[in-house]
Amino acid sequence: MLSLFEFFSRSKKLRAAGVLGMNARNYNVISKNNRRNLYPLVDDKVKTKTLANSIDINTPKMIGVIEHQYEVGDFMKIVANHAEFVVKPAHGSQGKGVLVIKNYADNVFTTASGKKLGFKEVYQHISNILSGLYSLGGQYDVALIEELVHFSDAFQNFSYQGIPDVRVIVYKGYPAMAMMRLATKESEGRANLHQGAVGVGLDMRTGRAINAVSHNMPIGIHPDTNADLMTLQVPFWREHLLIGAQAYEMTGLGYLGADIVLDKNRGPMMLELNARPGLAIQIANGKGLRNSLKKIDKRYPRGLSAQERVDYVLNNG
Amino acid sequence: MKQFFTIRHILCLFLLAAVIFAGVATYYKIEYWGFSFKPHERTDVWTVDAHISFEPTGEPIEVSLSTPRIGDEYKILSEDAVAAGYEVEKDDKNHRMIMKSKALKEKQDVYYRIMLYDNEDTIGKVRDHKKPKVQEITYVDEQEKVMVKELWKLADKVEGSSSAEKIIKLLNQEVPEPEVDSFLPVHKNQKIMAEKIIYLLAAKKIPARIVRGVKLGEKRRAVPADLMLEVYEGSKWMIYNINTGTVGLPKDFVVFQRGGVSLLDVAGGTHSQVRFSVIKSVVSSFKMAGRRAKYENSHLFDYTIYNLPMHEQNTLKWLMIFPLGILLVVLMRNVIGISTMGTFTPMLVAMSLVKTGFFPGLICFGLIILLGLLIRTWLTKLNLLLVPRISAVVIFVILIMQILTIIGYQFDFKIAASAVFFPIIITAWIIERACITWEEEGAKNATKQIITTSIVAVVTYMVISSDYIRHIMFAFNEWNFVILIIVMLLGTYTGYRLTELKRFAPLMKDK
Ligand SMILES: Nc1ncnc2c1ncn2[C@@H]1O[C@H](COP(=O)(O)OP(=O)(O)O)[C@@H](O)[C@H]1O
Ligand SMILES: [Mg+2]
Repeated sequence: MLSLFEFFSRSKKLRAAGVLGMNARNYNVISKNNRRNLYPLVDDKVKTKTLANSIDINTPKMIGVIEHQYEVGDFMKIVANHAEFVVKPAHGSQGKGVLVIKNYADNVFTTASGKKLGFKEVYQHISNILSGLYSLGGQYDVALIEELVHFSDAFQNFSYQGIPDVRVIVYKGYPAMAMMRLATKESEGRANLHQGAVGVGLDMRTGRAINAVSHNMPIGIHPDTNADLMTLQVPFWREHLLIGAQAYEMTGLGYLGADIVLDKNRGPMMLELNARPGLAIQIANGKGLRNSLKKIDKRYPRGLSAQERVDYVLNNG
Repeated sequence: MKQFFTIRHILCLFLLAAVIFAGVATYYKIEYWGFSFKPHERTDVWTVDAHISFEPTGEPIEVSLSTPRIGDEYKILSEDAVAAGYEVEKDDKNHRMIMKSKALKEKQDVYYRIMLYDNEDTIGKVRDHKKPKVQEITYVDEQEKVMVKELWKLADKVEGSSSAEKIIKLLNQEVPEPEVDSFLPVHKNQKIMAEKIIYLLAAKKIPARIVRGVKLGEKRRAVPADLMLEVYEGSKWMIYNINTGTVGLPKDFVVFQRGGVSLLDVAGGTHSQVRFSVIKSVVSSFKMAGRRAKYENSHLFDYTIYNLPMHEQNTLKWLMIFPLGILLVVLMRNVIGISTMGTFTPMLVAMSLVKTGFFPGLICFGLIILLGLLIRTWLTKLNLLLVPRISAVVIFVILIMQILTIIGYQFDFKIAASAVFFPIIITAWIIERACITWEEEGAKNATKQIITTSIVAVVTYMVISSDYIRHIMFAFNEWNFVILIIVMLLGTYTGYRLTELKRFAPLMKDK
């Protein structure tokens, strides 16, 4: 049993490292910077996408939305001109219910993992989305159909199947911390750290790897591809940060996480936003978030445009 | 940051206020209502029956019995007379029960009954500023005068803080002095002893008198009045035990009569006598609380939950452990950092375990979950929509519970019979969640979640299953205010969670 003394002494060490705990995140950061009524803007992927498009933030193009069970039959009409697309719940999280169709031919849908599905299965999947199987609290949901992202080859060696994405924490409009999430065999192609994905902390000025972890422990190479993680460098770094910074104006959320993927042809794209981004990013970066937030609070200028803020971070971050 | 401190400070002030309030309320309840920290605390209630019998002389009858008066020694629950055909009247001023009747023929039996509780030892003194006259004693002969002197000389050697105590002790010595032997008659009873003591005290000009009453005890049937002795010291009457010389009124003695008045007067009757019987009964202290409150003239009691009908009280008693359970949940989540399936699920499961008993409940619950999971896995194959599917699980859970309960009843198998106590919706929900977690995050994660939830439930059970804790949360429900403020204060807790110490361990830095 951990003694009270040990609890305090370890707490002190964490505080010294500027680690942001869950309670402090909820109480001091989220509740003070994110107004509740803004949450739907990011919790609903259709809303997020519409907003993003209105201010020219790059996102995967929306093909259509299915809102009611009786519209499920129209599905084939909606995807008529697409051989590849993605179906996902508008209120999903952690990749639940995301169906990535790589190819549609001869009445057979092939998923990213190579599984072959028929009409019935895809309809069933959409039906499940609508009935709320994948959404928080099980409330009714809508199915969003969007274009497939063609992932850049830049990270080919760094990810086992799956799709790497960049998570940027944005505080008061300033990108504060960033990491790249790389899928592993264990995470089954998913980019969630608690499922075994690799997290790579990124330098805010350059987009270069500074630290990498798997299951909370520091690592140097990717467990499946053996790529040297420290050589990782995110291209279009400025554009990545810009998407994060713009998300602030777009949503009004003072503390948010932006998930950004890199498309081969269209560059960095915003995949989703999160009003309660997790704290694992601190472990990936090997440093606490609190100091960065404090710095932004105290020293960073107010009233700059998104472009200016990104430049400020690139020069001073 | 500034604002955050003020909120916490305000809550701290509230906490202080709540603790003070709860402390005062607790003190009040213990002191005036007789509440206790111990569950199942019992109060002794003594029923004293005075059986009066006499033979009528043919004149109108008036029976008058001296009765106990309200003092510090005990509280009176009820008091009444059983005398068919008599006109009964209580003379509160003189503390007498008066029963009147027209002339009667046969032998009469009438009863006076009093119920007492909260008996206490007291000094038993009675103030009286007028010094009573001491009867001048007339010695039979010179020899007796010498003997009295001798006895007092001997008494002065006896240990004791007053003359009365010394003389009583002297007369009651196990191996009596020869002088004492010759002074006392061969056949002595309490009355003779009392009179002899009074006689000896009178020789020293100390006034003394007999006190009549009943010694409380089990198996006391039809006994005559017991005696004690009152001796005038200073400006008050002090009460003494005739056999031991101990001063003070013990809690097992109820005074019916003292001073110049008679214990029993019967006009229109002869051969009158009074015999006492004592019955002891035990009543839950809680039930007596209302009576005690009335004694204190406290109307507060009428507005407490303890004045409600038993059924409502039991329901509330059940509700009163919720706040503590909730506090535990908050502690586990926000301070320890354990995440469970559903915020209050462990607490609700723990409460069911309280009703079913620990092991039977746990086994039965495990059985329900297991069967439910099997059925739910089968449902997966049917590809039902969410709402109908979870509804189906709920119905299945109800069916499983029915079957288990029937089996439990038929085979007198307690474990199965406890099925009925588990919250149906919560159980169905655990099954649904476990199944989805199983599918999406693997068996390992699902099992982990079920196990953490169970552990939290067991820990919660440990706390709320204690009879003591449940009794205290009910009897001293004001502490729920304190819990409320603590929960709110925890809402401002921004320190690390216990689990985060491990999670972020790689980031730790020595100063
Ligand atoms: N348009 C898309 N093209 C390719 N893969 C996608 C697309 N949308 C989502 N994905 C895959 O699904 C995962 C989860 O999608 P996301 O939109 O982030 O939903 P969630 O809120 O459930 O995390 C992404 O990390 C990515 O791997
Ligand atoms: Mg995502």
